Amino acid sequence: MIVLAKIGLGFAGAVALTGAYAFREGVMRVDVDEHRANGEHVHMWMPAAAVPMVLHFVPQRYLQDAGHDARKWMPLAQTVAHELAKLPDSTFVEVKDGEQHVLISTQNGAIKIDVTDPQETVHVACPLSTIEDITVEIAGTRPGA
Amino acid sequence: MIQLKLRRSHNAFKYASLACAAALLMSPLAGRAQTHGDRWLHVRVVSSDAKGETVCVNVPLEMAQMVLPAINQKELHGGKVTIDKFDTNGVDLRALMDAVRKAKDGEFVTVNSKDQDVRVAKQGGYLVVHVTDNSGHIHHHLNKDANKDVDKKQDQNAGSTKDAAATNVATNVSHVEVKIPLAVVDALFSAGNDELDLVAGLRALSAQGDTELVSVKDEENTVRVWVDSKNTNGPEGATR
Repeated sequence: MIVLAKIGLGFAGAVALTGAYAFREGVMRVDVDEHRANGEHVHMWMPAAAVPMVLHFVPQRYLQDAGHDARKWMPLAQTVAHELAKLPDSTFVEVKDGEQHVLISTQNGAIKIDVTDPQETVHVACPLSTIEDITVEIAGTRPGA
Repeated sequence: MIQLKLRRSHNAFKYASLACAAALLMSPLAGRAQTHGDRWLHVRVVSSDAKGETVCVNVPLEMAQMVLPAINQKELHGGKVTIDKFDTNGVDLRALMDAVRKAKDGEFVTVNSKDQDVRVAKQGGYLVVHVTDNSGHIHHHLNKDANKDVDKKQDQNAGSTKDAAATNVATNVSHVEVKIPLAVVDALFSAGNDELDLVAGLRALSAQGDTELVSVKDEENTVRVWVDSKNTNGPEGATR
């Protein structure tokens, strides 16, 4: 009985530690809700720390294709993410047009994009540190490597 | 005697430890205070249509200074923009700005016509441009009075011109006010002959106090561009 309890405790501890490690950089969140009949509802929550790790396992040729046009903007995105991380929580862009509302802000070290529209609602949140890691990863992908 | 020395030394160590702990505790606050000292460029566009479209943009100047050099597209490179193809109709802008800098405060250009009033002046280190366009007028005489009211109110308080703006909206008068610190203009022209140094301009702008740079009011939109140390676009955000 005690052996089982010890195994259970060890397992729970391992799960807790893995969870804490995976979520140490926060959560990358994408929520899309279309307000119509048979509309799409996408809700994706992913540990931000997992994204750069996953990128390591993506074959180079796919990263090269994806980053072909985007690569020249990666240093810019990296600088923006790095500088935004230094600032307190702020709203950078806010657009209100009737029932439409667009908000780009930072909150707790993550950039948030919120779009509220009578047709659909989109909420995206991504930790700035993750954006920095991804830009480094893509910028470092050498053509022909 | 030795015990007394040891006790004194122990006390000194205790106070030093306390001071270090206090400094460590306060260090994040110091960093936070420095962050709040950043200067922000704000843009607000409020449309007077039925939907009441509002656009608010807040840009930290320090971030803009870091980001601009990373953009190398067409005329923009290394934080500078090339203006070699910029048509100035033969006017040497650099010489013109040099002359303005050396001149005393006063009005340089005043044009009063039926449709437009234009005023270009140098005031307390600022280049000030006022344009009042009456071309879409409904009640011309009323417009003139309304604009005088706008000027008076803006002199008293730049932010309390809502009534005057409402008058403008009702009478189809557009009012443009541009106020640029000369230090910023100097910094912009500090690059080569055919370049504007945007980063130097932003740096100079950061060094300025709270400034309202552009104010445009017409029957369709109200536009405001200003710099301050707040990271919000007014106390009520976009609804202001």
